[in-house]
Amino acid sequence: MAMTPFHPSRRQLLAMIGQVAGAAAMYQAMTSLGFAAESGYSGEPDLQGPRGRRRVLILGAGVAGMLAAYELRRAGYAVKILEYQDRIGGRCLTLRGGDRYTEMGGHEITCDFEGDGYLNPGPWRLPVHHRAVFDYCRRLGVPMQPFINKNNKAYLHSATAFGGQPQRVGHVEKDMRGHVSELLAKSLNQGDLDETVSVEDREKLLEGLKEWGVLDSNYRYRVSDELGDVRGWEIRPGGGLMPDKKPSQPIDLSPLLHSGLWDQLFNFHDYLFEPPMFEPVGGMDRISDAFAREVADVIQLNARVIRIAQNENSVTVSYEDGGRGGTVHQETADWCICTIPLSVLVQLEVDCSDAMRKAIAAVPYASAFKVGLEFRRRFWEQDDWIMGGISYTDLPLVQIAYPNYGFLSDGPAVLQAAYDTSTAGRTFTYSWSTMTPQERIDAALALGRRIHPQYDTEFMSGTSWVWHRVDWSLGCYGEWTDDLRDAHYKTLCEIDHRLVLAGEHCSHIPAWLEGSFLSALDAIRRLDERENA
Amino acid sequence: MLTRSLSYAVVALIVMTGGVSAQQSADPQVTQGEETDSENLLERFSEESERFTQSEGEALYRTTCQACHMEDGEGSAGAGAHPPLANNPKMNSKHFVAGVILIGYHGMPGFSGMMSDEQVAAVTNYVRTRFGNDYPDPIAPEQVEALRPPDDSD
Ligand SMILES: Cc1cc2nc3c(=O)[nH]c(=O)nc-3n(C[C@H](O)[C@H](O)[C@H](O)COP(=O)(O)OP(=O)(O)OC[C@H]3O[C@@H](n4cnc5c(N)ncnc54)[C@H](O)[C@@H]3O)c2cc1C
Ligand code: HEC
Repeated sequence: MAMTPFHPSRRQLLAMIGQVAGAAAMYQAMTSLGFAAESGYSGEPDLQGPRGRRRVLILGAGVAGMLAAYELRRAGYAVKILEYQDRIGGRCLTLRGGDRYTEMGGHEITCDFEGDGYLNPGPWRLPVHHRAVFDYCRRLGVPMQPFINKNNKAYLHSATAFGGQPQRVGHVEKDMRGHVSELLAKSLNQGDLDETVSVEDREKLLEGLKEWGVLDSNYRYRVSDELGDVRGWEIRPGGGLMPDKKPSQPIDLSPLLHSGLWDQLFNFHDYLFEPPMFEPVGGMDRISDAFAREVADVIQLNARVIRIAQNENSVTVSYEDGGRGGTVHQETADWCICTIPLSVLVQLEVDCSDAMRKAIAAVPYASAFKVGLEFRRRFWEQDDWIMGGISYTDLPLVQIAYPNYGFLSDGPAVLQAAYDTSTAGRTFTYSWSTMTPQERIDAALALGRRIHPQYDTEFMSGTSWVWHRVDWSLGCYGEWTDDLRDAHYKTLCEIDHRLVLAGEHCSHIPAWLEGSFLSALDAIRRLDERENA
Repeated sequence: MLTRSLSYAVVALIVMTGGVSAQQSADPQVTQGEETDSENLLERFSEESERFTQSEGEALYRTTCQACHMEDGEGSAGAGAHPPLANNPKMNSKHFVAGVILIGYHGMPGFSGMMSDEQVAAVTNYVRTRFGNDYPDPIAPEQVEALRPPDDSD
C-alpha cells in the first residue's frame, strides 16, 4: 500500500498547533504564517457546501459579487449573477483609448488616448496588508507592479506660497525634520525638558537629533556639505572639470509652516499608504477581468434588479431586461447575496426587516472624480525628474499622479491630472462634478499648467470620471460615521431570512477592494453556516 | 455603458466650450477668449477648500446641486436615480428641502458643514423658485438654524 504523505494545509497545521499547544501558541504561529494582525483575511473560505441542490442568486458583478460566486460554486452551490451594466467589474475599472461612457445627464465621456496610458477612475493602488486582494491576485494570476505613492522628487505646491513655485516632497520633509530637531535640541540644551528627560537620555537624544536632523556642531540646521548629502545639491557633484558641488539651501521654518506644505506631507502618512504599494500591471480592471475569467458564464448582463421579495424558504428577484423600463423577469433561488450599492438599493423594493431598511437608507455616498490627460511626452520625467508618485497642491485639482509604468519611454503618456474625494471634507469634488466632461478637462489644464507649464505645449487629449454621475453607484463609496456604524452596521450585515448584503459598504474598510473581498468572504461563510445549521 | 469605439483614432478633439486645446492656443484671438472662459469656469470653485464661499443661491446651485440634480433640476435616472427638483411635489415644504440640504437624504450627502444658514437658505429659496417651481414662502436663515442637528457646530 502506497503511503500518502501528509501535507497539512496552513489551516490544519494551525488547528493542530492549537490543540497541542493552546490558543496563544496558535496565534503566535498565525502571525508567523502571516495571518492575523493585519487584515481580517484568514485564507480561502472553508465552506461545507450545500446539503442538496441549492441556488444562490447574486446581485451585482463587482468584485464582491464575483468573489462570492467563485467561492460558492467551488463549494458546490449553483450560482447566478444579475448585473445591470453591459460590462462586469463594477467600480473596479480602467479607461483606455477608444472607450466611451454616457454618464447621468447624457454627456458622453470620450477617451482618445493614443498611447498605452490609461486612467483608473476608481481603485488604483493597493497596500500590501490587504491580504485578501493580494492572495486572490496570486491565485487568479494577476501580475503586480510597484505603485509609487511617495516620491521625494514629486511636488508639494501652494498657489499662495513661494511665489507659486512647487517644492520637492523630500525638501519639505527634510527641512521640517531639521527645524524640529534644532528646536528640540535647543530646548534640551536650555534645560527646558530636564523634568521629562533624564541626563543620559538627553545625551542620547542630542546625539540622535544631530544625525537625524543633520544639525551642525552648534545644533543648528544650516546649509553644509553634510546637508547636501541628505537634502541634495544646488550644483550636483560632477565629473572631470565640471563646477564644484554646492549644497542646496534649506527653506526657513516660518515660511514653511505658513505655506501649508507641511500639512500636505501628511498625505503620505497613513498606514494605508505605507510603501511599497502595488497595482496590477496594465490597469486595475485586470483584477475584475481575472474574476470574470472564472465566473463570466454565470453572469447575466443588462439586468436591472428592481425588487427583492422573500419568504422563509426562498427569494424572488424581479429585474428589468435591458435597463430601466425593460421587460420584467423573475428569478427564484434559495439564497440571495446583494452587492448593489446602498445608494441604489435604497431606491429598490426590498423585503427585509424595518431595521435593515433603515440601515440601507442611512449611509450617504461620498463624492469623487478624476481627470486623466494624455501628453505628447513625459515632461515630468524628462524636465522635472519625477518618475512616478504623486504631487499635491492646494489648487482644486488637489493632486497629480504620474504613471508608474513605461518610464523613460518616448511618445504619449497619461497623467491622473486631478483627483479628490469628499472624504477629507473639501468642497472641490462637488464643483468638478457639476462640470461637463469638456469643462473638467479645461479646468484640469487651466489649473495644472500652474504646476507644470509644459501642459500648454504637450497636451493631446483628456478624459474624466465623476462618481456621482454613475447611475449604478450614485457616488464613490458609503461614507460611514462612528454614530452611523453604532446604529446600523451590524443590522446591515446580518442575514435577513434568505437575504444577505455584501460589498464595500458592508465592511470596516470602505472604499478599498479589501473591504469588498472581506465582506463577500464573511457573507458566504455565514450563509454556508446557516445552510448547514 | 462603457463602450469601445473603433473609430477613436480618427475622432478629433472636439472643443465644446472655448477649451484650452493645443490647436486653439496657436491662435492669439482664441487664446484671449479661452482665458476668460477658463476663468469663468474656475470661479465655480469655492475660494476655500472646506466651506463654500459663494453666497448667491444660483452660484451655490451651480457648484453643488447641479452635480446630481443636473443643469435644470431635471434629475437623471438609470439603475438608480437623482430625483428631479422640477415638478416634484416634495418641494412644497421649505423645511424638507432645507433639511435635506443640511443632513442629506439616503445616498445624498449633507452640506451642513460646508454651508452657513444663509447659504442653505439662499439655495433652498433658489430651487423653490426655479425650474418651474414658484413657491411664495422663502425660508429665513434663522429657520435653517433651527433645523440643524443639535451637535452641529456649523
Ligand atoms: C474614486 C475611488 C477610488 C478608489 N480607490 C481604491 C484604491 O486605490 N484601492 C482599493 O483597493 N480600492 C479603491 N476603491 C474601492 C473599490 O473600488 C471598491 O471597494 C470596490 O470596487 C467595490 O466593489 P463592490 O463589488 O463592493 O461594488 P461594485 O463594484 O460597485 O459592484 C456593484 C455592482 O452592482 C451593480 N448594480 C447596481 N445597481 C444594480 C441593479 N439595480 N441591478 C443589478 N446590478 C446593479 C453595479 O453595476 C456594479 O457592477 C476606490 C473606489 C473609488 C470610487
Ligand atoms: C452628490 C449628489 C447630490 C448632490 C450634490 C445633491 N443631491 Fe439632492 N439628492 C441626491 C440623491 C442621491 C437624493 C436621494 C435619492 C433617493 O431618494 O434615494 C437626493 C434627494 C434630494 C431631495 C429629495 C427629493 C425627493 O424627491 O425625495 C431634495 C429636495 C434634494 N436632493 C435637493 C438638493 C439640493 C437643493 C442640492 C444642492 C444644495 C442637492 N440636493 C445636492 C443627490 C445629490
